[in-house]
Amino acid sequence: MAGSMSEAMTWLGPAESGQSLPAGAPQWLRDKQQAAIQQLSSMSVPHRKMEIWRYADVNRLQAQMTAENAPELPTPNAVDHTVIVVSQQGIQWHSDQPDWLTVEPISQMAAADWQDVQPQAHPSEQGMVVLNQAGLHGGVFLVVAAEQTNPAHVVELIYVHEGEHWLNLRNQFKLASNCQVTIKETHVGDRINLVSHWAVGPGAQVKREVTSRLQPEAMLVQFDHMELADGADVRAMHQRSNGALQHHQRQVQFAGVGAKYVSGSINKSILNNNICDIVNVIHNQKNNRSEVTHRSIAKDQSQIFNNARALVAVGADQSEIEQDLKNILLSADAKIFSKPELEVYADEVVAAHGSTIGALDEQSLFYLQSRGIELTQAREIMIESFEQEAQVC
Amino acid sequence: MLKIDQVVANAGDKEILKGLNLTVKPGEVHAIMGPNGAGKSTLGNLLAGMPHVELTSGSVEYMGKNLLELEPEERAAEGVFLAFQYPVEIPGVNNMYFLRTALNSQRKYRGEEPMDSAQFLRMVKQKIKDLNMRDDLLKRPVNVGFSGGEKKRNEVFQMGVLEPKLAILDETDSGLDIDALKIVADGVNQLRSPDRSFIIITHYQRLLDHIQPDYVHVLADGKIVKSGDKGLALELEEQGYGWLNE
Repeated sequence: MAGSMSEAMTWLGPAESGQSLPAGAPQWLRDKQQAAIQQLSSMSVPHRKMEIWRYADVNRLQAQMTAENAPELPTPNAVDHTVIVVSQQGIQWHSDQPDWLTVEPISQMAAADWQDVQPQAHPSEQGMVVLNQAGLHGGVFLVVAAEQTNPAHVVELIYVHEGEHWLNLRNQFKLASNCQVTIKETHVGDRINLVSHWAVGPGAQVKREVTSRLQPEAMLVQFDHMELADGADVRAMHQRSNGALQHHQRQVQFAGVGAKYVSGSINKSILNNNICDIVNVIHNQKNNRSEVTHRSIAKDQSQIFNNARALVAVGADQSEIEQDLKNILLSADAKIFSKPELEVYADEVVAAHGSTIGALDEQSLFYLQSRGIELTQAREIMIESFEQEAQVC
Repeated sequence: MLKIDQVVANAGDKEILKGLNLTVKPGEVHAIMGPNGAGKSTLGNLLAGMPHVELTSGSVEYMGKNLLELEPEERAAEGVFLAFQYPVEIPGVNNMYFLRTALNSQRKYRGEEPMDSAQFLRMVKQKIKDLNMRDDLLKRPVNVGFSGGEKKRNEVFQMGVLEPKLAILDETDSGLDIDALKIVADGVNQLRSPDRSFIIITHYQRLLDHIQPDYVHVLADGKIVKSGDKGLALELEEQGYGWLNE
């Protein structure tokens, strides 16, 4: 029998119960924290019988680790590059703040702006999302104003955490109508549990680039909820590799019509890594489109779980869905579980899904070799080629 | 240049080549014709080093070396080129990058300096012009979205860039319309030289209207059963292969 999720508060370090928020945090946020602490007592810690955790080594969540040296932070490389470092100490600007961008610590946002995050798939298994609120340390409230229409401008958030305990970060993104922006997120922390809420305004065009290339013992648990208003267009690219455990859930909901969500993931695992990549797109309005493409490569004794789920609610006609999951195993001991799912309750829907798992294509490797390219380099080219299919931005 | 002596070879579990002999001298063009399943493509694949095509007995000597001891990439660097019957698509890798990587890999094997980007660009632009092909070929991912004819033209273009000593064309004419056939044949003719040899595997005499072979061989049931000049190809076109069994 798995233990109560309340025990997971000890994962946050000593004396964390109700004490994680910075001094000066408003009472309404402390009240939410207390409510989450109460809720934890009725939840179980993640275990292998839970659908969202069944393909991960959940024991790693509470494993001891030593702090690893974080890699060097990237430096802003152009005028169109805004860099903000997010850590337990708060937020730190590494470049000038554009007029159209507001970023403040989550603990300073107004109560009226707060958006609760409610996982719709397997809610009883979402102890880590509740733990995030119960032991909240920080995060950002980021607002992009409507006048920002330069899609080449990159706002980069770098999540940093060096330490043996979990850091809970909570973000809220509010992207105004018709804005155009690229938001990049880079994870360089040891052990981070991140929950984000995205509100994408009508007609907004957003590129999102998420990179989590982790150190061998590092872990990242992430839950995103994204709502797309009328005509919003989001292209999201996720690049993940290494780390002891990466567990990513994305929940996308269409709040209007004529919106589009395009997502690409490249998951690469080696040694004994575990990577889970779960996407749940909820088509509950008419005439929206979602495309989810995953390319995963597992080597050594590592394992990857891919799950793309689309739910089309009654009346959500003219929905269009594509799910394309392809996977390559590079060793006999690596494992990949791949699961495209469609649950359709509307009549007029165009949906396609597919999943394959295999080795690198021998015929293609031979083609490259027959032109003079050594086998090792031919494999690298084939992997690069395979990854390119998921590059959506 | 190439001496194939009493070669017996399997493709998978099946014996396909059953005592094949062929000698190719520098500068010669040999056409190999024959009915379906005779072993024509297996011969090309054996020479290029395709996995699952294995020699059971016999030998293949190429430029004084035991060809079949070499890895496929080593054979390529030694000058063997196979134009595929079904060229493979490689999404996300453009032709320029692919060809430069291939060329510099071959140069490295031969102990030559790599060709830098500027030199390479000048060289391929000239080649593509000489071969009367469109230069958008360079920017496109290898064979992705290419028509059948474009794929075959791309094979000939690769051959032009890599400048092999022995080129094996495996049914390069299949699926080509008349204009594409002519472009491919012109490309091959431009590459003919006293030190470059060709083995052209084909079903049809029509390619040989454009490429003049020195020898025509009929491959049937895993061995060469008849050899002759271009007249043999015309005879086959008229009478088919049945008369060879009489």
